[in-house]
Amino acid sequence: MSTATTTPEAGTVAGTASGPLRGTVWLVWRRHRAALLTGILVTLAACALFSYQRIGLMEYLGTKTAGLDSSGDDFRIRFGGTFEADIQFLEAVPLIVAAFLGAPLISSELERGTLQLVTTQSVSRSRWLASTLAVPLTLVAACTLLLSLVFRWLWLPGHELIVGGDWLNSGPFDATGPVLVAKTLFLTACGIALGKLIKRMIPAMVATAFTVVVVNVIWSDKVRPKLGTLHNLTYPINGESPGVPRGAIQMDDWVATADGRLFGFSTCVGDAKPEACRASKGIVNHVTQYYNFDQMPGMQWLGAGILLALTALVLAFVVWRATRRPL
Amino acid sequence: MHDPSPWAIEAEDLGKQYRRRWALQECSFRLPAGRVCAMVGPNGAGKSTFLNIAARLVEPSAGTLRMCGVPVSNPAVLKRVAYLAQNKPLYPRFTVAETLRLGRELNPRWDQAVAERIVRSGNVPLDARVGTLSGGQRTRVAFAVAFGKRPELLLLDEPMSDLDPLARDELSGLLMAEVAEHGTTVLMSSHMLAEVEEMCDYLLVMAGGRLRMAGPTEALVPAHMLVTGRAVDDRVPAELTERHTIVESRVSGRQFSALIRPEGPLPTHSGAPGDTPWDAMPPSLEEILLACMRSPDAPALIMDEALKETAA
Repeated sequence: MSTATTTPEAGTVAGTASGPLRGTVWLVWRRHRAALLTGILVTLAACALFSYQRIGLMEYLGTKTAGLDSSGDDFRIRFGGTFEADIQFLEAVPLIVAAFLGAPLISSELERGTLQLVTTQSVSRSRWLASTLAVPLTLVAACTLLLSLVFRWLWLPGHELIVGGDWLNSGPFDATGPVLVAKTLFLTACGIALGKLIKRMIPAMVATAFTVVVVNVIWSDKVRPKLGTLHNLTYPINGESPGVPRGAIQMDDWVATADGRLFGFSTCVGDAKPEACRASKGIVNHVTQYYNFDQMPGMQWLGAGILLALTALVLAFVVWRATRRPL
Repeated sequence: MHDPSPWAIEAEDLGKQYRRRWALQECSFRLPAGRVCAMVGPNGAGKSTFLNIAARLVEPSAGTLRMCGVPVSNPAVLKRVAYLAQNKPLYPRFTVAETLRLGRELNPRWDQAVAERIVRSGNVPLDARVGTLSGGQRTRVAFAVAFGKRPELLLLDEPMSDLDPLARDELSGLLMAEVAEHGTTVLMSSHMLAEVEEMCDYLLVMAGGRLRMAGPTEALVPAHMLVTGRAVDDRVPAELTERHTIVESRVSGRQFSALIRPEGPLPTHSGAPGDTPWDAMPPSLEEILLACMRSPDAPALIMDEALKETAA
């Protein structure tokens, strides 16, 4: 179509037209451009939505400051669905990133053989590997950080009402602060490692999704409830509970002796003479264990620290495998 | 920049073991720089294993390999060597221009002009996505990436195997022209004996993980002789088997035919009374290669030039 004189110019322009990226960083960006751009756009859209939702929330809270306690039902009707959807989205982020970015990262190169193309060029394999891991993980960290910060900004003013104030088990713990970032990075690293081991894209994605489910169960059942030191609220066995502080999460109820030995809450309840049973064991108090709202950041950082340490371990394994054995 | 080594490849006792099976063993030869060398052999002969070791995709279990004077254990060897895998892996979503940019970004000695010329001489549009190209066009782009790297040694694994005859002809022409222009040494594995005869001036024949024959084509052919005549006791006559190396022999009825490597003057007949003289004629390269591959137990022939100096 084009004449002989214009083709070379057009070609040279197409060949040299370039952004600021160079070398392996350019290659990795170009290779995952569609996925990374989608991730960035979704992040920005979600942040815009969160900001918009915050306007509505602040308006509502401004008018209801006086009767905040009684407005629970009203709040649930107006904002319940919104926050449920937000949190569901944020909880799905680690799964989506791990399965659709992490798992194919190396496995697709192995499956298509393009790894042989890039690792037989002049740059060293370790440099290629470093860029392959660093570029997507940096962007994932940046996007999830932004998401968690903006969502925290949206959530904090209404935290006593949003998801019934349950910051620990109903989402805000995992969706704000460092936990979202750390969890996404850890699961993505798991996806990369599985892709490296399984060497095929689709099986690696399935295995990664399965891993995400398992990790989520372990995280919410075994790890998250144990990240802080529980506070004890002690009151006489026949007395009225003074109630845990505002914003606290009630974890467990016990009965206890005067010197603090704990018994299961139902101890002596089924007994024929509960009073005598209690007296024989020396039970005089009720104990309620809870986490204070001000413990949340500390617990989040501890959990994130554990996840990031595991991330480093998994990535070290990937690097070790990739350099020890030819890919 | 550096003293060019007179040897493009120096392999010494190179071997690769997978679990308990040796895919390649005791492979020793030298390839002089500037040659176009074919590596032929049946499937599983160890050709790809050798090329993968040379491309640093596989670690050798034994021996050493130097390319252009640089040991394969040194990552810098990949600046001098280009490797093209059999299925020519390229990123299907990259455009041709982006594929060339990949070469430029990853290679300090990249020559954009050479790469673009190769692409353009095949009328491959630079803005086309690689996934939409035909097999021949894809191979051309892969060649462009390989030549744009300005390698001293080009390793090709079955470069023409998946091409139609037209594309094969076009691309072997391209390959030979570029090789001639830059003086690149080429080592290509191939199934196609006709292609080998036409393009290559050096031969490595592999079978069963071992090197069976190595040397310049023009010296390998005269080293062989195809002898036919009357069989003695249903065997190849002892005069031949005792004094000369039999690569392959066949007896059908009263006739024998043997591909031999004469170790001296060839007797013209068995000497038995009433025997007719044997027929001795130079075999074609294809006959030699086939015989060599069919008889992996025949002694290897490594020409002097391909031997290490110490051994020669």
